[in-house]
Amino acid sequence: MADTAVNAALGAAVNTAAGSGSSATVAAEPLLQLDGLTKRYGALVAVDNVSMQVADGEVRAVIGPNGAGKTTLFHLITGVVKPTMGRVRFAGEDITGLPAHRICQRGLSRTFQLTSLFPEMSARENTTLAAQARHPRRWQPFGGSGVFSQARAVGDAALEQLGLAHVADRPAGLLSHGDQRLLEVAMAMSQQPKVLLLDEPTQGLSVEETAQAVDTLARFLDKARVTVLLVEHDMEVVFRLAHKITVLHRGGVIADGAPAAVKADARVQEAYLGGMD
Amino acid sequence: MRLSLLLGLTGLGLMIAAPLGLPPFAMTLLTELVILGLFAMSLDLMVGYTRLVSFGHAAAYGLGAYASGYLLLNTQTPLPFVVILAALLTGVIALGVGWVCTQATGVSFSMLTLAFAQLLYAIAFKWTSVTGGSDGLAGIPRRPGPLGLTALTTKAGFYYFALGCLVIAFLFCKVLVSSPFGAVLRGIRENEAKTLALGYNTRLYKIAVVAISYALGGLAGALYAPFAGFANTELLFWLFSGQVLIMVIVGGSGTLIGPILGAAFFMMLEHQLSSYTEAWALFFGLVFIAFVLFAPEGIWGLISRWGRRGAVAEVKGGQHG
Amino acid sequence: MSNLAFLLTQLVNALSQAALLFFLGVGLTLIFGIMRIVNFAHGTLYMLGAFLGYSLLHHTGSFWAALLVAPVIVGLLGTLFELTILRQLYRRDAHAFLMVTFGLALITGEAVRLIWGSDALQVPPPPQLAGVVFMLDEPFPVYRLFLAGAGIVVALAIWQLLERTRLGLLIRATSQNPEMVHALGVDVNLVRSGVFGIGCGLAALGGVLAAPLVTAAHGMAATAVIDAFVIVIIGGMGSFLGSLIGALLVALVQVFGNYYLPDFALAFMYLLMLLVLVVRPGGLLGKEA
Repeated sequence: MADTAVNAALGAAVNTAAGSGSSATVAAEPLLQLDGLTKRYGALVAVDNVSMQVADGEVRAVIGPNGAGKTTLFHLITGVVKPTMGRVRFAGEDITGLPAHRICQRGLSRTFQLTSLFPEMSARENTTLAAQARHPRRWQPFGGSGVFSQARAVGDAALEQLGLAHVADRPAGLLSHGDQRLLEVAMAMSQQPKVLLLDEPTQGLSVEETAQAVDTLARFLDKARVTVLLVEHDMEVVFRLAHKITVLHRGGVIADGAPAAVKADARVQEAYLGGMD
Repeated sequence: MRLSLLLGLTGLGLMIAAPLGLPPFAMTLLTELVILGLFAMSLDLMVGYTRLVSFGHAAAYGLGAYASGYLLLNTQTPLPFVVILAALLTGVIALGVGWVCTQATGVSFSMLTLAFAQLLYAIAFKWTSVTGGSDGLAGIPRRPGPLGLTALTTKAGFYYFALGCLVIAFLFCKVLVSSPFGAVLRGIRENEAKTLALGYNTRLYKIAVVAISYALGGLAGALYAPFAGFANTELLFWLFSGQVLIMVIVGGSGTLIGPILGAAFFMMLEHQLSSYTEAWALFFGLVFIAFVLFAPEGIWGLISRWGRRGAVAEVKGGQHG
Repeated sequence: MSNLAFLLTQLVNALSQAALLFFLGVGLTLIFGIMRIVNFAHGTLYMLGAFLGYSLLHHTGSFWAALLVAPVIVGLLGTLFELTILRQLYRRDAHAFLMVTFGLALITGEAVRLIWGSDALQVPPPPQLAGVVFMLDEPFPVYRLFLAGAGIVVALAIWQLLERTRLGLLIRATSQNPEMVHALGVDVNLVRSGVFGIGCGLAALGGVLAAPLVTAAHGMAATAVIDAFVIVIIGGMGSFLGSLIGALLVALVQVFGNYYLPDFALAFMYLLMLLVLVVRPGGLLGKEA
């Protein structure tokens, strides 16, 4: 256990050290790898030949102005939409075109851009149901107190991680907007994912709520060693949370690297100044 | 929870004691009520627990009734086996129905189930050699057995048999909806997209629940054929599908016990109104609309709200505080 | 009978049948497009149209008066129902509407039985349309030709209404984005009341027109509502053109099915619908369900 963690950390370190230069001899294979991923809707190219690699343990943000193809990219990775071309590799296996629930079963859990919860269930029931999806006896049509108690324990831990333990028994639909966003993250974490995909986690929050949610997320990401792919258009959020940033513009990658380098990139500045809504 | 258990056990006790004190015509009504209650409860698995609003549940009832009628008329199979076989057959056919209908969601799903029921209706009309066409199957006997047992063929015996089926089916459903499987159904009911995104293959769960629901509906129909002595196309008609949906909603969907009460309410209202007025359906329509408008949680919802009044007030107070 | 003459008469037959089905389907689809509700009472209102037509014909002596007045009355009743009952349910899920309109179907059906009795009533076609014409030497009822023509006229009229008028624009806009229309200062509720009334009126128009062919009878409600559903499901919920195509397809299946395989004609209709739905769950011209 400890060895693999160390190896992964080393791999990440080697990656960073190699910087923007050629990194042909990377120690560990990236956890998530996109090769020439493309999605066309008729004449419209929503995602254009996107290749990127996310190493184990990394927090990677994908940013870009509205309409840059961020959400479509997410849909392609999670299997909601099938790509026109290109491959998605996850933990060394090709998962391109698998149904969404299969991809999720392999350890990619996502949140939605628009809050998607079970509003009439309590927060705890939400995380329990999320955790149950990873239990081998999740479909059992009788009994199930064992399944439930195990799932509840995992779910409660996730609620704790995101600072939601005090609202665990409240119906999800009655939580504050910020807590609802965090509950979605807790649900994804209840699945003990290898990669956590966050689709604009602060979408729809006020400035104050955003600041609070980002604080909580930052604390959580510091402690939880989980690989994150984050889609976001709020720059402050991105620079606060991400280790590395990939910039999309008109469906294609225009920059990829550490936050400081990306910030300084001329093409990125142009895209943001010229392409913002 | 205490209240519902108490009411349920009292109700069951009364149902068990009923044959001792009731005149024969009332026994007939009560048996029909048990069968209809089972039918309505089977639909609740789809409507109340999974939000799969079927507008063609008569298909399950009709399939079960025709299957059991055919077996009783043409074979020597004892009654209990016939009923189980008919229910299983309905469930197996429902796997196909479920596969097709779950291609769609929402209102389209409702319409597809309706189309399936109407297709069966059309088939029952024309496949005279098996279904008896527009005359239906008549003179369906209650075959004794197994082992020459005749207790189930008497009026009281058949009543207890039907009641036993209802109780077993109720317990089965209760266990099912409280299980991990049932938790996933709740997820589908509240937010299907999210349930799918969590990694559940929601389509399979839906097909399974359609099959179980149809099998239990088929069980009800399979009891009805030997109870009434006939099976005809009326049992497959869309109006009947609408009526059973009314029973579920009026009784209180998502509660299992509610739809049974709904069936009882429906039957009593029909019985009472039709003895006063020819136009009972008119009043029935009014009562139904009133329920949808003013008491969407149904009869059982009203009862349990009354039972929980104290607790709810407490929660509300806590939220405001 | 020559093959050509047979084909022609059957085709015109199907066209007249399609016209009746279209009156049913287009009302249902308009209502669904605007209000996202499935009107279960549609067949009963069709039947009500036929019985109203019978009475109006007897009181005024004019089929044309009946043809004009009956749809207006049913349309107003529909609007009244929208104002008093449906309006309270827009915040609830789609199934509340299904159930309330099912209740309306029960009430209307029973009211018709109370007012007109249980027997089927004969409605003669107007004298101008009573005879037959010869097409390629085959006799063909004038009334059916008239129906086919009426179908084409009404379809064109609705199309023009939707494409060319302000009301049509509002209807299309509301069906796509009611919030936006509301934000533009239009009373969406008024559009809804209006469209529900128009849809009910169209069903009644179909009922009056169908009466001379099939008599005014209680059984027509159930057949009509199922036919209407099938058409709208095949064509795609909320699509005007879809309802037209659906009506034509169903009419063709009904007419030719009845001729070649009368035992299976009914089943064919449902099979057609299942086939369409399996291939395109939202219907031919509908959005994904």
